[in-house]
Amino acid sequence: MTARILIVEDEALVAMELRFLLEDLGYDVIGTAGDARSARDMVREEDIDLALVDIHLSDGPTGVALGRELGQEKGLTVLFMTANPGMVRGGVAGAIGVLSKPTDEVAVEKAVDYALRRRRGEPIQYAPPELQLFA
Amino acid sequence: MTLDHRAARPWDETERLAALRSFDILDTDPEAAFDDVARLIARLCDTPIAVVNLIDEGRQWFKAEVGLGVRETPLDTSFCAHALLEEDGMVIPDATQDKRFRCNPLVTEAPHLRFYAGVLLKTAEGLPLGTLCVLDVEPRGEGLTDLQQEALEVLGRQVMSQLELRRALKLKRQSEEATQRALTASDYVGAWDWDVANDRVVADARFARMYGVDPAVAAQGAPIGAFTAAIHSDDADRVGEEIDQALAAGGAFVSEYRLVVGGVIRWVLARGQVYLSDQGAPLRFPGVIVDVTERREKDAALESSARALEQSEAKFRAIADSMPQMVWSTLPDGYHDYYNARWYEFTGVPEGTTDGEGWNGMFHPDDQARAWDLWRHSLATGDVYEVEYRLRHRSGVYRWTLGRATPVRNADGEIVRWFGTCTDIDDLKRMEQGKELLSQELSHRIKNIFAVVSALVALSARQHPEAKAFSQGLRTRINALARAHEFVRPHTETSRPLVGTMTLHAFLESLFRPYAENDGRPRVRLEGDDAVFDDQAATSVALLFHELATNAAKYGALSTPEGHVVLNTQAQGDRFVLTWRETGGPQVAPPARAGFGSSLATLSVEGQLGGRLERNWRPDGLTVIADLPATALARRRAAIKAG
Repeated sequence: MTARILIVEDEALVAMELRFLLEDLGYDVIGTAGDARSARDMVREEDIDLALVDIHLSDGPTGVALGRELGQEKGLTVLFMTANPGMVRGGVAGAIGVLSKPTDEVAVEKAVDYALRRRRGEPIQYAPPELQLFA
Repeated sequence: MTLDHRAARPWDETERLAALRSFDILDTDPEAAFDDVARLIARLCDTPIAVVNLIDEGRQWFKAEVGLGVRETPLDTSFCAHALLEEDGMVIPDATQDKRFRCNPLVTEAPHLRFYAGVLLKTAEGLPLGTLCVLDVEPRGEGLTDLQQEALEVLGRQVMSQLELRRALKLKRQSEEATQRALTASDYVGAWDWDVANDRVVADARFARMYGVDPAVAAQGAPIGAFTAAIHSDDADRVGEEIDQALAAGGAFVSEYRLVVGGVIRWVLARGQVYLSDQGAPLRFPGVIVDVTERREKDAALESSARALEQSEAKFRAIADSMPQMVWSTLPDGYHDYYNARWYEFTGVPEGTTDGEGWNGMFHPDDQARAWDLWRHSLATGDVYEVEYRLRHRSGVYRWTLGRATPVRNADGEIVRWFGTCTDIDDLKRMEQGKELLSQELSHRIKNIFAVVSALVALSARQHPEAKAFSQGLRTRINALARAHEFVRPHTETSRPLVGTMTLHAFLESLFRPYAENDGRPRVRLEGDDAVFDDQAATSVALLFHELATNAAKYGALSTPEGHVVLNTQAQGDRFVLTWRETGGPQVAPPARAGFGSSLATLSVEGQLGGRLERNWRPDGLTVIADLPATALARRRAAIKAG
């Protein structure tokens, strides 16, 4: 089953390129949300497997709380993607880890693959080095 | 027959000796007055020997003598000595026959006296000091004639008078000396006596000189006007009134005023007494004056000191109350006893309510303990006190305040007071916090721009499939720049990268992470001295190592699992040398032409960083050496240090 991915990012260009990248890799990008509210709406409407969440959204630094909620309450697998990884230095419950922006195509590919494997419960040996895992 | 003479003795020997001593006559030199008496009585009584004899304890001592040749002889304290003193007008015709005198050395030994006639020298209280006597070596059964006896008695009384006179004079002299000493010590000047009825003032020489009056004139007597003329013109009227009042009322007179004589001004205190007649008219007005110039000068000095102090305090308060800052002061133990007007305006508390240690309660609860600790430390060590805290404004809000205090020390280096200020820095602090937020915001946006640009490049390239390789190369370079920027932009606690430090090695480690083994082990091993680098060097550092790593991954050591890279960075004096050594990769050879990437690297090192880049295409792998000036990586800091 093709994984269904939600992009939560307020920079349109960055979101678009990420979408193309993921689609090239064969994933289903269900949608792009620029703020927490529309992200929640989308999650309510659709089944989502993985959310790639930026911390700073158009409605402020709401990404952290959103990611926690999506991971802990909505059952999504959450990866943060941010230019400011220090904001989640201590880790966020419910999320797997954080990627630093601007991202490497290869890094994104590996991180998404890793996250989905974890979601499926597959045994994995190594996380991609660019992915800062939360404990 | 033994007479118990001691029992019959009517005087106390201790008293007698004391009286004798009081005359201060024993062991003195011969004096004409006494020698004359002795000579005269000897002639009158026709005896070879005459003595003014004083009986001391254990001896008889002769103030004057004729015919003996000695001035004293010891005398046994037997009744012999006192026998001489018992009977007045004693006549002994033959001493050898009289048991009272058989023991007297003048009888038993030379000159072997036989005849004695003497009268007692008695004090007014009746104590016998000695005798005036005449003696002969021949016995004289008939004794003295009436005339001789009378002469002896008269001259005896004369000797006593002489002794008394001597004593009186001595006492007088001692008294005068004592008085003089006392007067000198007390700045006493002199005395006057004013016969008011006849307006005649008699005064001593010192008094006269003090008032600029000829002492001879003063001794004779001069009108009061002659003396009052010397009174300072500013005091004259007042003193005149005081004198008039005293003359009218009688009784005590006290006045202080200045005398001006020969241009010299002195202060005197006059004390006198006015005596009135039965009709109430002033009769006599005697008195003394004391020179009080020094005392008044001291008083004046004290007064001007006190005034200066008062002015100084007034000045301090004026300054302190005009300052825009709050000012406070404490005793050496930290007890606050002064706050200026600003403090009370700011805090709105009633005056005095924050004395002592009440200040601490005006601080924000979170700042109280910290401020207390710092204040205690300063009190103990004398270190300058400086602390930022929130102080409660009268409106109820807390405002950030900078408190500073310094100690004031005395000549011995002990702290005698603390002076402190409170400066309202709330606006400043909020501005700082605002700037901080702005800086973070800015920094974040810059980082975001890298992401946007990178995305833009990728999106653009999608339109041009032939440009895919180009766009990927470009994107990775942009990403490297973005990563470097992460390490040089200003950070707060929250934005600081997860790595923690912002140094060359930390950045490189982050840059090379994509090339790491699956298990996270790095394939580019970092060694040597770490360094800090700033934003000016960030681009160059990023591009250089991005190129080296990318090439190594494509053609060099990182393109095979067996290959790895050692990157050694060394601080060598005023140079910083980075050595990139690839080993275990495929054989390499120098390219025919320098590629774009390597041109970028060379430009970065040699152009931007001002260093030297050397490439060695060794058979076992490429070695690249970047030799930079030590300041190249952090040029701004170096410029600050130098400048």
